[in-house]
Amino acid sequence: MRAVSFPTIEFAAFFVVVFILSWAFMPHPRAWRPFILVASYVFYGWVDWRWVLLLIASSVVNTVAARVIARSPSQIARKRALIVAIVFDLGLLCTFKYLGFFVSEVDDFLDSLGLGSPLPLVQIVLPIGISFFTFQAISYVVDVYRGETRAASLMDVAILQAFFPHLVAGPIVRANELLPQLRTPRDPRQVLAGPGLFLVAGGLVKKTVVADELARRVVDPVYSDPSAHSGGEILLAFYAFAAQIYCDFSGYTDMAIGIALLLGFQLPQNFNRPYMALSLQEFWRRWHMTLSRWLRDYLYIPLGGNRDGPRRTYRNLMITMLLGGLWHGASFTFVIWGGIHGGALSVERWAREHYPRFRMPTWAAWFVTFNVVCVAWVFFRAPNLDIAFQVLGGLGLSGPSPLVTLPMVFLVLAAIGVQALPSGWWRQGEAWIVARPVAAQGVAFGLVILIADAAVGQQGVAPFIYFQF
Amino acid sequence: MDPRRNRDLTMPAGKVLGVVLIALVFAALFNSEAIVRAGEGMEQGTTRDVVLSVGRPLDDVAGTIGFHLPREGLDLAFGQEDKTASGTELEEGSTAILKRRRRQAREEKEEPTFRQPGPGRPLEVLVTGDSEADFLGQRLTDQSPPGLLQVETVARNATGLTNPAFFNWELNAQQEVDARDPDAVVMAIGGNDGFNVESGGNLYGPHDPEWETEFARRVAVVAGVLSGDGERPVYWVPPPTARDPEFNEIYKTQNRAVEKAEAAVPGLRYVDVYSTLGKGKYSDDLKIDGQKVLARQPDGVHFTRDGAVAPVRLILREMARDFPALEKDSGP
Repeated sequence: MRAVSFPTIEFAAFFVVVFILSWAFMPHPRAWRPFILVASYVFYGWVDWRWVLLLIASSVVNTVAARVIARSPSQIARKRALIVAIVFDLGLLCTFKYLGFFVSEVDDFLDSLGLGSPLPLVQIVLPIGISFFTFQAISYVVDVYRGETRAASLMDVAILQAFFPHLVAGPIVRANELLPQLRTPRDPRQVLAGPGLFLVAGGLVKKTVVADELARRVVDPVYSDPSAHSGGEILLAFYAFAAQIYCDFSGYTDMAIGIALLLGFQLPQNFNRPYMALSLQEFWRRWHMTLSRWLRDYLYIPLGGNRDGPRRTYRNLMITMLLGGLWHGASFTFVIWGGIHGGALSVERWAREHYPRFRMPTWAAWFVTFNVVCVAWVFFRAPNLDIAFQVLGGLGLSGPSPLVTLPMVFLVLAAIGVQALPSGWWRQGEAWIVARPVAAQGVAFGLVILIADAAVGQQGVAPFIYFQF
Repeated sequence: MDPRRNRDLTMPAGKVLGVVLIALVFAALFNSEAIVRAGEGMEQGTTRDVVLSVGRPLDDVAGTIGFHLPREGLDLAFGQEDKTASGTELEEGSTAILKRRRRQAREEKEEPTFRQPGPGRPLEVLVTGDSEADFLGQRLTDQSPPGLLQVETVARNATGLTNPAFFNWELNAQQEVDARDPDAVVMAIGGNDGFNVESGGNLYGPHDPEWETEFARRVAVVAGVLSGDGERPVYWVPPPTARDPEFNEIYKTQNRAVEKAEAAVPGLRYVDVYSTLGKGKYSDDLKIDGQKVLARQPDGVHFTRDGAVAPVRLILREMARDFPALEKDSGP
């Protein structure tokens, strides 16, 4: 897993080679496309080359299905091709992600009926990024079916799915966002280096200095045994995980978007200061934005959205968020996480419809939203329901709190507070950096790498949380 | 993005490459020790060879100029302890340790009794080792009799005894016991120990008989530090059976080595998960309390959280010999 992670020596060497060759091939699309595809497959297959075969199979099936959809005059044939592609994509996801859980549950059920445990329990290796690239594949064929994008060549579809910056943990890119960029050579004189370098450096700091530190010193010890910790420590871990998962996941996507920018490509934004949201609805427009819009466009709206009255709307919200939870993994903790969000979104909608004039003070709306999100995070982080309830039940306990230290409290406050800074400041910072001499920029970026490596120490960078999904 | 507004944020690709290369060279010069350490921690192969062949000379030069100082300052600021050292017994000691300790233990005839847990005074247990320690620590917490154990888990992922240039367990063990002074230690390690070892100036692979003896010696050194020369018991859990036949053989050798070290080190207890669970045969699942559970993770080595119940019961059974109060109830 280390080799496909951005903050490693292997990736640094890989990126330098790819950067040089990518810009060298860029004026020649016929050479560039196979090059970037092979580079992406090398990146993905570094750990296990068999995963590349899976990716190729997904690209082939979805390309063929999209072509049938685009060319067939028969609506029935188009629909059948769409269904075949979706069944294939979901089948792939279910086999690798949910089969083990399903077999185990059925086996337990049969055992409880006195029929013994007849099914062999299966342990399947989950290919990294499978949830992301299957969702991208589904969005591609559905968009072709809806006429929102044209059917592309196998090469283009393969690059769309495998482009290494977003392959492992998103952002979930739609065809009409990346395919047009693949068709036009990028201008090597106009590389968006300001945001690119800023995002890579920022993502590195978020991951190593904030996320991994909070995980190691507060979150992991508390969640491994809440009963051994005081209310003060549990309260810190309650908020620290919110900071950790934001810095871990947004740190990864910042690096992904930054790396793509340095190669000349723009990926969609995935986070927009989510903890500044004043409602759950707003939170989902700011958190994992590419998953939210995927769920909206390919699940919530096809289910009926808010078109068929309040009851159907609440049902659709609940189904969407529960499936969003299950997308993370086959576990009741994720179901409850999705259920809390689905329930809270429904309550918000109900309140808006029944009390349209009611306005909560801004600070109260922020406080309620943020804390509902944090309660849901407890279920997301806890390995099982028992631990989750121990964490929530332990918030009021007294006792000594050696884990509550000034640096950890500062990191939590900084990770959340930094989102309140005006976004214009970041842009000014990017412009300022780009205006410095190349050597000064290089030294500054080198210093960030040095600090990041010192922060993680000899234990190395922990795997990104979203790699497991 | 508006292209006009973006103009002040762009640079030619050549300059970007310059920034990236300067940054990497700068970071490599001031971080050369970390590069060597990362290389030492890699699996044998071309990548490791390349990293070390670049890193080592760079580290020599950087060390001479004094480029290590900023990194040392940063390590201090982040509270990082050095986990490598040269000239330790782990690297350069003699296999006589295996005989010497055994003789000492025999002369002492009986081992000291350990502090027993009581109401309000739970036994402080440190669970440490490699990544296998994680679920074992969590499960030990879940399964320990109420109020009798206070478990702290410190897993040092990707570490082992055969690569002290990357992570020196003798040094780390000393730091851990100095910082915590536990009443007992559970040590689960070995999953990353497939490296060749040097002994008496020769290099031995895991299939050489000398490797087993050298591994036993290293276990004895680290166990001696963890136990404080017999002041506290150390429950050593070598790897269980593995799905991969090659790993399985290495783990079998390690188990024999730990058994050998147990006879030599006062306080060291060998917990035989390897031949007890599944009668020495690998299986993804295990029957626990009549119910079949998926016991292993996809890598075919690590226990799942559910599967960790079984080895933890073996650990508790072993612990109960030193701490009889644990015998009454060893949890679910």
